[in-house]
Amino acid sequence: MRKVWVVIRREFVERIRRRWFWVMALLGPLFFAAVFVLPTVLASRGGVRQIVVVDATTGPVGARITHLLNDSPMFRARRVPASGKVVDSLTTQVEQKRLAGFLIVTDAAADSGKAEYRGSNVSGFATVGALERTIGDVVSAVRLEREGVDPRVVARARIPVRIDTKKIAGGKTTGETAAQSFSLAYFMGIILYTAILLYGINVMSSVLEEKTTRIVEVLVSSLRPFQLMLGKVLGVGAVSILQFLIWGVSARVLFAHRPGFLTGGDVGEADQIFQVPHVSGATAAVFITYFLGGFFLYSAMFAAVGAISSSEQEARQAQQPISWLLVLSFVSMFGMLSDPASAFAVTLSLVPFSSPIAMPVRWVAGNLPTYELALSLGILAVSIVAVTWIAARIYRVGILMTGKRPNLRELVRWVRA
Amino acid sequence: MASPSPAPSPAPILTLDRVSKHFAGHTAVAELSLSVPRGVIYGLLGPNGAGKTTTIRMIMNILEPDGGAVQVFGEPDGGRAQSERIGYLPEERGLYRKMRVLDVLVFLGEMKGLERRRARLQAEAWLERLGLAQWRLRRVDELSKGMQQKVQFISTVLHDPDLLILDEPFSGLDPVNAQVMKDTVLDLRSRGKTILFSTHIMEQAEKLCEQLCIIARGRKLVDGALSDIKRTRSGHHLVIGFDGSLGGAAQVFADKELVSKVDNYGQYAELELASGADPQQILRRLVTSGARLSKFELQEASLHKIFIDLVGPDAARTEARPDA
Repeated sequence: MRKVWVVIRREFVERIRRRWFWVMALLGPLFFAAVFVLPTVLASRGGVRQIVVVDATTGPVGARITHLLNDSPMFRARRVPASGKVVDSLTTQVEQKRLAGFLIVTDAAADSGKAEYRGSNVSGFATVGALERTIGDVVSAVRLEREGVDPRVVARARIPVRIDTKKIAGGKTTGETAAQSFSLAYFMGIILYTAILLYGINVMSSVLEEKTTRIVEVLVSSLRPFQLMLGKVLGVGAVSILQFLIWGVSARVLFAHRPGFLTGGDVGEADQIFQVPHVSGATAAVFITYFLGGFFLYSAMFAAVGAISSSEQEARQAQQPISWLLVLSFVSMFGMLSDPASAFAVTLSLVPFSSPIAMPVRWVAGNLPTYELALSLGILAVSIVAVTWIAARIYRVGILMTGKRPNLRELVRWVRA
Repeated sequence: MASPSPAPSPAPILTLDRVSKHFAGHTAVAELSLSVPRGVIYGLLGPNGAGKTTTIRMIMNILEPDGGAVQVFGEPDGGRAQSERIGYLPEERGLYRKMRVLDVLVFLGEMKGLERRRARLQAEAWLERLGLAQWRLRRVDELSKGMQQKVQFISTVLHDPDLLILDEPFSGLDPVNAQVMKDTVLDLRSRGKTILFSTHIMEQAEKLCEQLCIIARGRKLVDGALSDIKRTRSGHHLVIGFDGSLGGAAQVFADKELVSKVDNYGQYAELELASGADPQQILRRLVTSGARLSKFELQEASLHKIFIDLVGPDAARTEARPDA
């Protein structure tokens, strides 16, 4: 149908002419990289922390902890003997931000493994984790030495352990690590959620624009409302595909010239958890299929919301239930990742409103029975048809309405009419 | 260039046959039938809320009638299927604000079935004609309201339609654009196009329409040629001026066979003729009675008066519009 094509082209051309499209296209990969790596990088890289070890021990434990802390690039430690006044003056220094915190070590450390840290940022898990490891190392060494073990043996026994995980897929052990699968699933979830929401809202504002400017009346005198809605959804969908292409290419470029913070230095944990994974053709296909499915499903609903609203504020309010559906699917992704084969995860990947996010995540995270994929796609396809049918009937009446937003009963009447 | 306009051909370009539309709890249009001959300017008149916009929306398939049939160009599918040949200007107007003027026009031209290249040529020609050529690459929201109205109007006629359907085309226009609109309508009419327009302003309709239909509360009150309507609905109003002598005028005015109502000022009188009375007979009797006349004029009622007579002063006021 030629007129549908004309609508598609207008949506596409007008959108890619706008500045925000190119801002999104070029900054998108940076944004996602930031969302994805920054929290870990920030947590593990707070600069050098100035701390004081308040030594109330009678043995060498306090001195050894201080020494070991100074070996780590995270800390600059100073040891002071314990006294009544010292704690007060250190507390003042912490408040004045001259000190990150102080560690109180007593003889109990060697016996029960207990120590106390007081700092301005107790919740910094990287700080506390590093302190715990350091104290643990010293305490276990001291205990072993008390039992008469040669300190050199102790030193040799402390070998860091690292487990290499490999994913088994299709009866073969792939080169992919569990960390890679996890980060890919996580990454895909974020992109799917963001893109479906973003482009769904795009469809909504486009419908709303035509309604509030009343140009819709001229349009539906030339083509059927359904054709208009279809053209709009396809046009915005085409923009999103172009966006993904640009993101894909620029992500590759970015990765090839990745700045130091992604690989080098002591990023450590970030590097281990977030490795850049390999994306297979099948994974890309699953991703795009579910993106389009989710986009069509949600943008039909967003189009109906645009049609029943008569201002931006009204639309923002009316679209909330739909956004919640998406947010819910996104949030439950974290629960799913811990056990991708649980009944919870399987349900989410079959329910059409959550499957566009849940299924690609499960696909990446673990082995997926083919029939489940087929079933999920089938349910999604049927739902798209049904939801689009309902949305189109609401759209048809809504775009010509002015004034009060219809209530649920009126909506049902429109759909039945 | 002002060639005599071609006689309306017998096959109407648009017919409505007992078309009805109900909205929740009220009837917007009730069994409305009308027929628009080819090549005329046709007025759809009525007070606000009479059902004009609903009628036009049904012609354009924007609303589906609950009953009755609409035929456009002799086809039963209504206006949308024929949108290539119809220019439609809705009552409430608007354009894509962020689009460039030329792009909007090309898009709307393509919506009306024009090829992209041709739409562009037509749009540029019209922009030139209405003095907007230098604005063609500007965004719509950079234009003044008057210029936007012109752009909107261009979008209606861009594809050279045979039938124009204009819903309250003069409402909200500044005087300059009203003139442009009127001139263009007349120009299109002289090129054999048919124009259907709705209005609640009778003075406008009286000057432009050849044929018309008056509706109120969704029902047709009268339709036909303006001249016929005036002839049958007026000619009952007589104005007489005396030149000194009244003669036996008082007896003549008192004759209930001839005069139903009189408003006598002495040297000046306004009469309503009794039904079937011949004004010429009054003239003869006044002269024989010795009255000297400076004026004897049979006044044609204005369309406005006919309208008020038909609709009643109450209905002529603005009504609530649950459909719009």
